[in-house]
Amino acid sequence: MKGLKTEEKIKLILQRREAMIKLCLSACVHCSLCAESCFKFHNHSKDPSYMPSYKALHSIGKIFRKKGKLKDEEFEEMKDLIWNKCVLCMRCYCPMGISIPLLIAAARAVCREKGYYRTYDVISKRIEKSKKVLTK
Amino acid sequence: MVKAKLKPLEEIFGMIRSYKKILTLSCGGCVSVCMAGGQREGMELTLELVEFFRQNRLDAEFTHYTMERQCNPEYLFDAEEIVREADCVISTACGAGVQYIAESHPSKPVFPALNTLFIGIDRDVGLYEERCRTCGDCKLGYTGGICPITRCSKSILNGPCGGTHFSDGSCEIDREIPCAWNDIFERLKSQGRLENILTVHPPSIWMDQAQRTMVQYGFEERYRKKE
Repeated sequence: MKGLKTEEKIKLILQRREAMIKLCLSACVHCSLCAESCFKFHNHSKDPSYMPSYKALHSIGKIFRKKGKLKDEEFEEMKDLIWNKCVLCMRCYCPMGISIPLLIAAARAVCREKGYYRTYDVISKRIEKSKKVLTK
Repeated sequence: MVKAKLKPLEEIFGMIRSYKKILTLSCGGCVSVCMAGGQREGMELTLELVEFFRQNRLDAEFTHYTMERQCNPEYLFDAEEIVREADCVISTACGAGVQYIAESHPSKPVFPALNTLFIGIDRDVGLYEERCRTCGDCKLGYTGGICPITRCSKSILNGPCGGTHFSDGSCEIDREIPCAWNDIFERLKSQGRLENILTVHPPSIWMDQAQRTMVQYGFEERYRKKE
């Protein structure tokens, strides 16, 4: 990948995974069984945006459809979806055999190339808020 | 989580100075949470090495890539091609990640960029404290949730040793270090559970002398060796 521009690198990332992404996106029957095995989904009052299928479709699905040409704010939004709402624990179960973590990892790879990734030295607003609540 | 720290740049340089195509492979797992080997740290390390090579009048081509996990086969696919193209790999993962990359690419020299230190807690951003040495025989149940292996300077299991300063409950090794067994005593006393340390426990089996493999409950049948 040395010497390639960011767009070319993203194209390459998508090309390498094209067959897998296409198959997975078309095989999803929206049965929501993956949600049942996701601890994040259960710990967040079954918020649909925590459903593994939702996270995959709204990250790599979106990137793939738009061939990686997303606006900066779209990548920024996606960051919350694929880093904060998924920890890649690999416990999500899909009866169709879709590897959701691999799809989310692919979305992360694209975001990383664009310079969007999670940093850990900035305390998130959510942690600040919970700290305030806990110390009251 | 696993905590690690970057090795001195000179040490890393010493390992890779003879190679021409060098790949810095970051890990998006635990080491990125403790800010030692994530994407940003990997990029910074690459830039520093480029500069180091330049100062030493050496020529090498550097590439950087971040994998989501270096300890899991599912994510190896990610970096397969990039690793193949490099002469050597500097991994910013923990010891397990480095070994797994080396095992998956036996013909490729893989070097660690970090010193993996311990399993610890996050006191604050960038401040971590060791809490577990994965001894494989957890004593926390009768030591009031305080680990004598990590917290006691001598790692003794039948303390206190006799070197506790009674005035402030510190350790004889250093007045700054609180005596773990004093803390254990105080906590158990406050919970009315002093009998926990008054009982004689059987000797510990020091499992960390040999490499361990763990099969999680419920998966025994799956990994049972066939006769």
